[in-house]
Amino acid sequence: MMQKKIHSSMVIFSGLILCALIGLYVHLLVGELKPWDMIDWLDIVAEGGTAILAVFWLALLLRSRPAGRVTFWLALGVSCFVFSWWMDCIDEVIEIPSGAFWHNWPENMPVPLGLLLLTIGIYHWHQEERAISAQMIKRERVFREHRLFDALIPIGGADYLREQVKLALKEARMAAQPLALVVIDINDFSHINHSFGDLEGDQVLQSITQLLLLNLRSQDLLCRLAGDRFVAVLPNTNNHQAKIIADELETAIASLAYKTTRQGNRIQLSASTAVEVGLQEEANSMIKKLNMNLSLIKKHLITSPI
Amino acid sequence: MTMLLNSYERDTNLIAAHHQPAIMLDLATSRDIDSRALLRGTRLVLDDILTGRKLISPDRFLTLLANCQKALNADDTSFLFGQRLFPGSYGAVSQVLTHSQTLHQALIHICHHHSLLSPLCTPRYFENNDHLFIYWLDSCGAGAQFTFLLEAYMTAVASMGNRMLDSKLPWRFNFTHAEPRYIEQYWVHLSDEVKFNQQLSMMSIPLDITHQVRLKTSPISLQLALQGSKSQLTDIGWEASFLDTLYDYFRENIQQNIQLETVANAFGMSPASLKRKLLKHNTHFQKQLDLARKHVALYLYQVKGYQHHEVADYLRFNDINNFRRAFKRWTGLPPGQLLQENCF
Repeated sequence: MMQKKIHSSMVIFSGLILCALIGLYVHLLVGELKPWDMIDWLDIVAEGGTAILAVFWLALLLRSRPAGRVTFWLALGVSCFVFSWWMDCIDEVIEIPSGAFWHNWPENMPVPLGLLLLTIGIYHWHQEERAISAQMIKRERVFREHRLFDALIPIGGADYLREQVKLALKEARMAAQPLALVVIDINDFSHINHSFGDLEGDQVLQSITQLLLLNLRSQDLLCRLAGDRFVAVLPNTNNHQAKIIADELETAIASLAYKTTRQGNRIQLSASTAVEVGLQEEANSMIKKLNMNLSLIKKHLITSPI
Repeated sequence: MTMLLNSYERDTNLIAAHHQPAIMLDLATSRDIDSRALLRGTRLVLDDILTGRKLISPDRFLTLLANCQKALNADDTSFLFGQRLFPGSYGAVSQVLTHSQTLHQALIHICHHHSLLSPLCTPRYFENNDHLFIYWLDSCGAGAQFTFLLEAYMTAVASMGNRMLDSKLPWRFNFTHAEPRYIEQYWVHLSDEVKFNQQLSMMSIPLDITHQVRLKTSPISLQLALQGSKSQLTDIGWEASFLDTLYDYFRENIQQNIQLETVANAFGMSPASLKRKLLKHNTHFQKQLDLARKHVALYLYQVKGYQHHEVADYLRFNDINNFRRAFKRWTGLPPGQLLQENCF
């Protein structure tokens, strides 16, 4: 994957440099250097600066995106702009005899071509974005804010949860439908960290995240509250339905046959869940109550181990 | 003169770089952060740590912690760091914790060996009839970073206790700071029983739990480890920080008329040097004295069950109204109201 990414960026960059050099060579071959006092330095700075900025876009694009069709079209489009501005810049230094019928082509032709390629790229990007959003739907609702995403587990953290519960409560009040929260807490998680190491613990959390996402409905949202504690936001859900979903999540975790990455040891997992349903409440107090419900259930768990 | 011999300061090199600083580095580098960025401003390079002999000052450890906190940019850094701290692999002193027969023993050993185990944040313990309390003081003037230290070291003690007795123990936590935005980290990593804006940063646990005898411990190994940890303490040469020593002096002489000059005298330095040293630790004389007096007053009320006039007498206030005013200045609340809230 990484190999391929580096490879395709190299192809694009070396292609671009080759074209730029060919352009320069052809100009030198046909045209002649302008006298020093004929050169408009402001034009060179402006056109050269634009070309440098476009190279920067290209670098960001190739670094941040996985290699593939969409990236290829976008990069090719931006490359056309870079080439056009580069030729524009050279044009300021080298005079092409105006008799040559093609003398405007190198700086003018790539622009419409680049726009066309960029449009194709953006269209495919749009399609791709829709496909990704469909996969992300249980991790984000309504708005995207990557800065609130958890560093370890690719779902929202506590701050994102608070924002989302606020929004969901507003919606719930408008629709006069209850909003349910389910908290899922992995039992004895510190034991896993201690026996198998923290990296394995992180792996377990990532697997559990995927599992929980699979077991939720498309309108639900999953966030990581902290550590090994997750919260699912269930719009339009009453207490009874929420309890059923909570039980399903508990069962799913209990029947996950997780194997450690190194030795392939089976780790027996279990979770405790609690539910809180609200409509007229405030987001923070609802999350607090949810946690109190959980600690009551956990206390019960300690006194009567089954 | 003898008082200061055993006290370390902000710039004393006493913290083994390959112990707790390395744990923080490991945690941050496991999240793909470049170690050079983490070591910036600490005058340390990775090779120093790998020698296993490098000692660093509290000042530099605090810089390292701040760098890591900034680079990780997560609310759980202090708690994850704390979980990895105890018993640790710090030689004999870690063996002492591993081989302690009861949690009670382990907790007292932590307090006794705090210059090895918790050099930035001093734990002190006391008991009443049914609970053991550990409260924490700023050893070296950590300032705004003290909250991070409290989160880390209280998590360290609590999770060590949970592991020792193999269950989630009913710890309760009080913090002097206000409820943070990331309150859920406290719920998950410490307990739901957590209060903010309290008089002391303190954790407590029922005494009977701390006296449960653990199986599979070896008294002989404990004896050996204790001998080892004793020589570890003599090797680093410090048992308490300058602020610890000053606090102890205040508490011992709380019934005397304590003045800057007398204290400077007892510490064998000029009043100006004492002031300078306090400034270096981000504090001043009156602040430290008030802290000690507040703690004594709270102890007398809550543990000894003293009445208002008895506490005022003990602290040598001639006038009960003066005492009430002073108490309100220390705690923000008049004595009567504070007792109703039962701050322990």
